[in-house]
Amino acid sequence: MLPLSLLKSATGCPILIELKNGETYNAKLHSMDLWMNMSLTDAVRTSRDGNDFWHVPQLYIRGNTIKYIRVPELVLGIVEEERAARQQRRADRSNRSSGGSRRSAGGGRNRHGGRRDRRDHPQWQ
Amino acid sequence: MSQKHQDKPRKNPPHKVILDLSKHINKNVQVHLTGGRQIQGVLKGWDPLLNLVLDEVVEQLRDPVDPYKLSGKQRKLGLLVARGTSVMTIAPVDGLEQIENPFLNKPLV
Repeated sequence: MLPLSLLKSATGCPILIELKNGETYNAKLHSMDLWMNMSLTDAVRTSRDGNDFWHVPQLYIRGNTIKYIRVPELVLGIVEEERAARQQRRADRSNRSSGGSRRSAGGGRNRHGGRRDRRDHPQWQ
Repeated sequence: MSQKHQDKPRKNPPHKVILDLSKHINKNVQVHLTGGRQIQGVLKGWDPLLNLVLDEVVEQLRDPVDPYKLSGKQRKLGLLVARGTSVMTIAPVDGLEQIENPFLNKPLV
């Protein structure tokens, strides 16, 4: 499980972000990119000392100012579902293609890590 | 080959901008900069690196004793370009308000 893919799966979930300056944001994750830049909605900003609170309807946070992110446990379930769905799609695809596939039946499916994803990119097909 | 890719969302190209600032143009935005400065101004322009053009900018000055607190004083800065690399957060001012502790009866997350 990669950090960025976990966060990607957490899209739409409430998360807690602490910035390097100690401020925390409780918000719903709207979207994020490869730099962990995040777009949040309906955020509550808590000051560093925990005494002041602001409601921030929309917020963009630059990834490099983030210290850590708390993610709800249920995201693990989402990750598992997405993984299963991806595997299913891959199986369907290899069944559809003829036997002359450049990939052996099992070999491609059991790989792990980023390479597998990169293969999905048009450039690698 | 192309048909293969139709059933799934495209991967993020590396330069994808997850924030569409065009709907906030000519609106008031609050920007936190690295180092702790906090400014507010009218968004006049932006680019994908998040360099911003802001007008009528006011900086909320911090307490010299405790730089994590605002002193309530302001400083007018006028027209400025905020460099993207030092922009920490961007939030539209509309709807932004100080509230009471919303977590008194709820744990965080």
